[in-house]
Amino acid sequence: MLNGVRGIYLREILILRKKLVKTVLSAAVSPGLFLIAFGYGIGNNARVDGLSYLAFLLPGLLTMSSMNQSYGIATEINIARFYFKVFEEYLLAPIRRWEIVVGEMGYGITRGLIPMLVIAFYSLLCGVQLHFGPLFLLALLLHLGIFALLGLVVALLVRNHSDQATMNAFLITPIMFLSGTFFPVAQMPLPVRLLAALSPLTYSTRLIRSTLLPGVTVETGLFPVLLIMLVGLFLLAGRVVARVQA
Amino acid sequence: MPAEIEVIDLCRRFGTTRAVDGISFRVARGELFAFLGPNGAGKTTTINLLTGLLSPDRGRIRYRGEDFDPGRLAVKKMIGVVPQHNNLDKELTVRENLRVHGRLFGLGGRELSERINFCLDFAALNEKRDTPAGKLSGGMKRKLVIARALLHQPAILFLDEPTVGLDPHSRRRMWAFLRRINQEQQCTVFLTTHYIEEADSLADRVLIIDRARIIAEGTPAELKQQAGHFVLDIYREEALDNEFFTTREAALERLKQLEMSVRIRETTLEDVFLRLTGKRLEA
Repeated sequence: MLNGVRGIYLREILILRKKLVKTVLSAAVSPGLFLIAFGYGIGNNARVDGLSYLAFLLPGLLTMSSMNQSYGIATEINIARFYFKVFEEYLLAPIRRWEIVVGEMGYGITRGLIPMLVIAFYSLLCGVQLHFGPLFLLALLLHLGIFALLGLVVALLVRNHSDQATMNAFLITPIMFLSGTFFPVAQMPLPVRLLAALSPLTYSTRLIRSTLLPGVTVETGLFPVLLIMLVGLFLLAGRVVARVQA
Repeated sequence: MPAEIEVIDLCRRFGTTRAVDGISFRVARGELFAFLGPNGAGKTTTINLLTGLLSPDRGRIRYRGEDFDPGRLAVKKMIGVVPQHNNLDKELTVRENLRVHGRLFGLGGRELSERINFCLDFAALNEKRDTPAGKLSGGMKRKLVIARALLHQPAILFLDEPTVGLDPHSRRRMWAFLRRINQEQQCTVFLTTHYIEEADSLADRVLIIDRARIIAEGTPAELKQQAGHFVLDIYREEALDNEFFTTREAALERLKQLEMSVRIRETTLEDVFLRLTGKRLEA
């Protein structure tokens, strides 16, 4: 049972292990630079939503960075599919197509956990207290699952590497900057607020921020929202994987 | 006894192009079967259809008398596939590549370790077990892909152009390896090739495909017999003509009548293909 899930997860983890240092460093550089540019550029005296700007920013950076890691499986799947043709191994194996979805989602979630360690380290450096409790972990898992599935769907829908890069530019970059990572969405103009309402990152950022910061009320109403998104994307990914041919 | 593989009126188009156009054939159990044709003839499409990587527009595929449904996992377990490209994980070691494949095919624990050791020995890759696949030579990569396909002990092994890109020496060693697989593993082998010599030297039976259609089928000897066992190469001013004869005596008789440069030799599969299509296979 679950040979596909185990085989695919094993493959991905073996490869991740080979490039772990590179992956951790890449997960550290981008949020580190944003922290310096925005966090120290704007200054810790600035206050947003009643919080110091650094306390506001760090959970946002964690959410954004972990999204980049879990969605990042899209590029790897794309290369495995079009360049190395490794994806054919999955299609030829005696496994159900949904096992491919679960295996890749599991890998995306695992990869997305790396930034959590990085941001925990940064929060110690910045003297910002974050609370990594069970509600935070649950919110993070939902968030990572959503973006891993999104990555899988995109990787299987595009027809080549170039389309993949285009999708990243038109999908992930706007999501990153318009979903409340750096500034509250409420401060944005109406068209941006409407766009942000379509982005899963908007909801996961709000939820994760509320679970991480001590003294902030957890926005529990967002759990079902993320769960619905996760289930919807899982079903979509299942349909897309089922239609993939050589 | 039902055929190991039976294909009936198989068709597949890509847009307006017919990649496979109404082909039918049977492969017997334990046979080493070669699918010979030029690049673009429809060989890879046929393998993709037979292994469930593509779905046909029309026609039937049967394994041991039962219709092929790619959703039925039991059928996939009895198939091993060596694709045209070495689709290995370059970062993973030889052993890790095999381990992942074994997991996907439901092997684990001691059984998996034993099969990995067997396949490493069989493919003479034991010394390279901890080498990343990306650092192997072309011939070794090819052997690893074949060893991987054998790991789960398939009854049928599909090989898509197994020796493409190999030097002549490695190619001959690969032929010996494929014969061993066929005989020692009791595996039905279905291979595609555009190398005449490969089909001639290896196959029990050959099927020739050109422009998506089957144009001839038989043992190499039968195909040559049909064309004529002997051929005269007649060197005219700007062209080389061939004439076919069923006996050496008839060829020699004709030779006497000709005053230009002439060579007599035995017919090859290349001549058969040339006779059927009017073009050379390895142009």
